[in-house]
Amino acid sequence: MGILIDRHSRIVIQGITGREASMVTRHTLAYGTRIVAGVTPGKGGQEVHGVPVYDTLREACREHSPDTSVIYVPPAAVYDAVAEAVANGIKLILIPTENVPQKDAVKLLALARRAGVRVIGPNSVGVINPAERVKLGAIGGDNVERCFVPGPVGVISRSGGMTAEVSWMVKRAGYGVSTSVSIGGDALIGTTIAELLALFEEDPQTRAVVVFSEPGTSQEEEAADLILRGGFTKPLIAYIAGRFTEHMPEGTVFGHAAALISGNYGRPSLKAARLREAGAHVLDDFDHLIPTLRKILG
Amino acid sequence: MGRLLEHHGKQLLREEGIAVPAFEVAASAAEAGEAARRLGKPVVLKALVPVGKRGKAGAVKFALTPEEAGERAAELLGMTVREFPVEKVLVEEKLEIAREWYVSVTYDKSKKVPVVIASTRGGVEVEELSRSYPEEIIFCPVDPLEGLPAYRTREIWADLGVRGKLLLAASQFLQRLYAAFDRYDAYLLEVNPLVVTPQEELVAAAVVMGVDDSAVYRQPRLAGVVQLGSERAWRPLTELEKKMVEVNESDPYRGTARYTEMPDGDIGFMCGGGGGSLLCFDTLLALGGRPANYSEVGGNPTEEKVYGLTKGILSKPGVKGLFVCHNITNNTQVDVLARGIVRALRELGINPATFPVVVREAGVNDAQAREIFTAAGVEYYGDEITMTEACRRMVARMREVYGERGQS
Repeated sequence: MGILIDRHSRIVIQGITGREASMVTRHTLAYGTRIVAGVTPGKGGQEVHGVPVYDTLREACREHSPDTSVIYVPPAAVYDAVAEAVANGIKLILIPTENVPQKDAVKLLALARRAGVRVIGPNSVGVINPAERVKLGAIGGDNVERCFVPGPVGVISRSGGMTAEVSWMVKRAGYGVSTSVSIGGDALIGTTIAELLALFEEDPQTRAVVVFSEPGTSQEEEAADLILRGGFTKPLIAYIAGRFTEHMPEGTVFGHAAALISGNYGRPSLKAARLREAGAHVLDDFDHLIPTLRKILG
Repeated sequence: MGRLLEHHGKQLLREEGIAVPAFEVAASAAEAGEAARRLGKPVVLKALVPVGKRGKAGAVKFALTPEEAGERAAELLGMTVREFPVEKVLVEEKLEIAREWYVSVTYDKSKKVPVVIASTRGGVEVEELSRSYPEEIIFCPVDPLEGLPAYRTREIWADLGVRGKLLLAASQFLQRLYAAFDRYDAYLLEVNPLVVTPQEELVAAAVVMGVDDSAVYRQPRLAGVVQLGSERAWRPLTELEKKMVEVNESDPYRGTARYTEMPDGDIGFMCGGGGGSLLCFDTLLALGGRPANYSEVGGNPTEEKVYGLTKGILSKPGVKGLFVCHNITNNTQVDVLARGIVRALRELGINPATFPVVVREAGVNDAQAREIFTAAGVEYYGDEITMTEACRRMVARMREVYGERGQS
């Protein structure tokens, strides 16, 4: 089980012939994940590590019926690529691209919302479901098992790099992950912590969820509300990095673009308080993740 | 995110057909006096600094005569407003005010759409407005695919009780404001106060504009107007920070190397990525460590970039140790980090036996990294320890070498 992706996912990569996309394709295939097709306008007929390339997503869809797309295109081309994916019936879109203009982000998210399409990112390093050996994006690199082994813990991280580190800590504690999701470090992203918690709630493999958070946004507050409403009933362990930024002059961004504090909005201490009120385990010391997991999972 | 100085924002609004006060920019008391003479009216003088709440900071002054304008300008030019020294002042005509309104466009991060915020009570901060008069403020979400239709702008002002010709003028003002927000990839465009003159004209008396620096590539009009990276500092960039921006920009497509100087501190901080740096900084502080800077290094940077950043970090006076730590990397080649860092240490003649250097780097090519760091005498860890344990090791090393209070 796990969430978002499994061995039935039919994955297409838009922009597959680029340097980064080609490397990710190689690593993904080596991990055992199937990629049904790739798209790069003008390069139809080529292959990337054995994956057929098409000029348009429509052609790729006719031949391979993909339902999941990873969009490896530069910031200026992301909006159009998402519009192409939505128009061709893709149901799950991962956007790894960083520095997508906010105006484009709100438009592409609105387009996806209207069509009932789920977007992960922008600025996501990927999603992985180790029990099914399926991954989207660069997550895990060429040494996936170092950090990602199958198990009962869901991982949600606002930091791409820390998605790996948290999953590695879970493994160090003696467990593994059901699905690890890098949700993207931008302020405007497709799928939030609370939305993923709702999916993990329904997943029988997932017994607990770990969240790595940062300053900015109101995602943690929304997650606390979800728990209080009864929408998430499994144990939640959260670490909120960037406490020091509360003591810096206001309006300064450290970390990802979303990590902005303004007034009480985005303060790690208030996020921690809200999550604690809702019954989550909020860690002061990141290393306490290991004993906390052991206590919860036995 | 990059803020514009007020005269730039006003110029852009003027080009959009929005009325703004007649203004000039002055860099000296004499220039301010001249400007006031040319304007031929009582004037307002405002410090041109990229921070808000200037009124509260005493950075807005009034003058009836050119002589007075010169004197007030001299006062402003000697000031520092929230760490920003005032180098220029805005000299503009003092408007006749019948009423003060508020209007802005920004993004609603939760709903993920643009939002128009409007009120016929202006001149106070919007936070105070929404606290004191929540029923007199309108939040209107905008469908980003459709934009802001003209009829919505009329509805907004009509709901606030605006009638007659003023309703039409206010509607047109808001349409133009939204057009400017959209055209320039702004993330914030605020007019406060929006002045209604006794002749019922609408004038943007004060303008705050921030633009999305991810979109600057498609904004030729903003070239030289917005300082990139200005959201990453609460004061003008220091000389060292400017140098580090150069190091980063020298190869903009290969990795990121961000650097922010902290007041005081003795640990050179060379960490990443975004989340990992926040975690390390918090953890060092919690353990009693004193980082001298903040940094984020990631996205598989070149050796040259790593080398340049390391040298910069170590060049800050008072730095007596170096902490290098990342989350387990997905794509950053840690052997490349190792080469850049060891090269910088060697060139600066730093001996890790007497100058604490603690490294925790695991991920792509970490076997080579271990060899390079170990050969250079650096205390190296891969994934045998956690990031927190590495922070603990760093703080302990500083104490071993320099004693409890940091004196050697």
